[in-house]
Amino acid sequence: MLGIMARKFIEAAAATDLGNVRQYNEDSIAMDPELGVVAVADGMGGHRAGEVASAMATQIVLAGLRQRFAELRSGADQHSPLLAVEESINQANLAIWGAARAHAGRLGMGTTLALALFHDNRIVIGHIGDSRVYRLRGGKLQLMTRDDSLLRDQVDARVISVADAAESHNRGLVTQALGIVEQVTAHVRQVDAMPDDIVLLCSDGLNELVEDADIELILQELRVNLPLAAQLLVQTAKDNGGYDNITAIVARVRKPFPAARGWQRRLFGWQH
Amino acid sequence: MAKLVLSSGGSIVFQCFVDKERLSVGRDPTNQIVVDDSSVSREHAQIVAVGNDHIIVDLASANGTFVNGRRMLRHILQHGDVVEFGAFNLRYLNSKTATEVELDRTMLIEGIANAQLGLPTDGAALSVPRKRATRINFPTGRVHMVSGPRAGMMIELDRVVARFGKPGHCSAVLVRRPQGYFLAYVEGRRAPRVNGQSAGKEARRVNDGDVIEVADEKFQFAVAGQRRPDVGRGHLSATRD
Repeated sequence: MLGIMARKFIEAAAATDLGNVRQYNEDSIAMDPELGVVAVADGMGGHRAGEVASAMATQIVLAGLRQRFAELRSGADQHSPLLAVEESINQANLAIWGAARAHAGRLGMGTTLALALFHDNRIVIGHIGDSRVYRLRGGKLQLMTRDDSLLRDQVDARVISVADAAESHNRGLVTQALGIVEQVTAHVRQVDAMPDDIVLLCSDGLNELVEDADIELILQELRVNLPLAAQLLVQTAKDNGGYDNITAIVARVRKPFPAARGWQRRLFGWQH
Repeated sequence: MAKLVLSSGGSIVFQCFVDKERLSVGRDPTNQIVVDDSSVSREHAQIVAVGNDHIIVDLASANGTFVNGRRMLRHILQHGDVVEFGAFNLRYLNSKTATEVELDRTMLIEGIANAQLGLPTDGAALSVPRKRATRINFPTGRVHMVSGPRAGMMIELDRVVARFGKPGHCSAVLVRRPQGYFLAYVEGRRAPRVNGQSAGKEARRVNDGDVIEVADEKFQFAVAGQRRPDVGRGHLSATRD
């Protein structure tokens, strides 16, 4: 599956695939060019509940952001984009948590989430779980998120070294997800955006199977053809084993997108 | 569940399941795994469970902890590992870790509480490398540049993609895959050409000896070990005529 979003300031493309082993694709994608937001979610839970959780997460977060930006447009108190992202993620968590409790077959369903909101020459990055956000700038790939994973904790607590992590059996064990408990701590931060920056959002099915150096090379060489970049990232993960669902969204900053001074232009400035 | 088997001279002395967060190994009788050997320290090593991992940690023992013959201070035990304690061997058995874990669905698990210390606050977060399947089955190819700014160069195609043509105007990539190399159009009005014919904008497989043109670059593709360079040149001069 492929998706493309193009605007004067930001362009984006997405690809997702079942992989070589699994029967269902529990990853979900959402892109909203009007808002300037892209999101990836990787669901978990039996009886296809993972699909439900990841779709709920992306849809509710996008709806939450749309609503908060509409409130801003109608002159309500200003939300900071960071707060809008955090509130929308919390809203999705509560909804999934509630749905899981209301439905016996969906108990324990949950999902990761990674999102990027392009606003006023900045990128607001929100994430939970082990889906990731990377940024390519000047040909160098940088990981912008810290996985909520046991392996990451082990390395940070110096229980094991980074080199030893390759030998660990704790891959894929996440320490936080949406929908599991009533309260989550979403990681939300803001980074500056520069023309030609490329942002990659992915599920662990990509970064577990494609090494950073290859991700960097594909993004760098295919920066002018984002749909092909997304497709090649997913294909490379499949060629390297593809034992999980694989999802990649790539977004490129085409030119600066400052929020203009007037309130109308502040709202609409990033879309034309 | 993982299991530890202590043996000496080929016969089993003791065995247990790894069902505790910590198991101690040493000469002292208070240890869970007691190794009665004078070269073993009283408190020699510890086996710590973290998630699906069992990590053996040497407790500054006098003679060290050797895993499969190599001295280790800390090691994530792998199925079949043998840890030597004097004349005793401690074997770690965990058939689950061999294949199943890779396919397990992402699960939720308690994090390590003290990991809050020293978290990276900026984009400095490290990627944690994984042990990947080798690319031993991927083909190896190269191209010989015939014309254009890189004429005369031999370019090894050892990465996942290699770009040709004029970036920003007209370009294409060669993609390395297990089943061979594929040519994919990237940008520009003109699709790349293979052996004088338009290759279209869909990715297509290239074969040994194919002559490819992308913008002002012309090159010949060769699968390593299948084609001698002089044969390649002969073929090229023929296509130029």
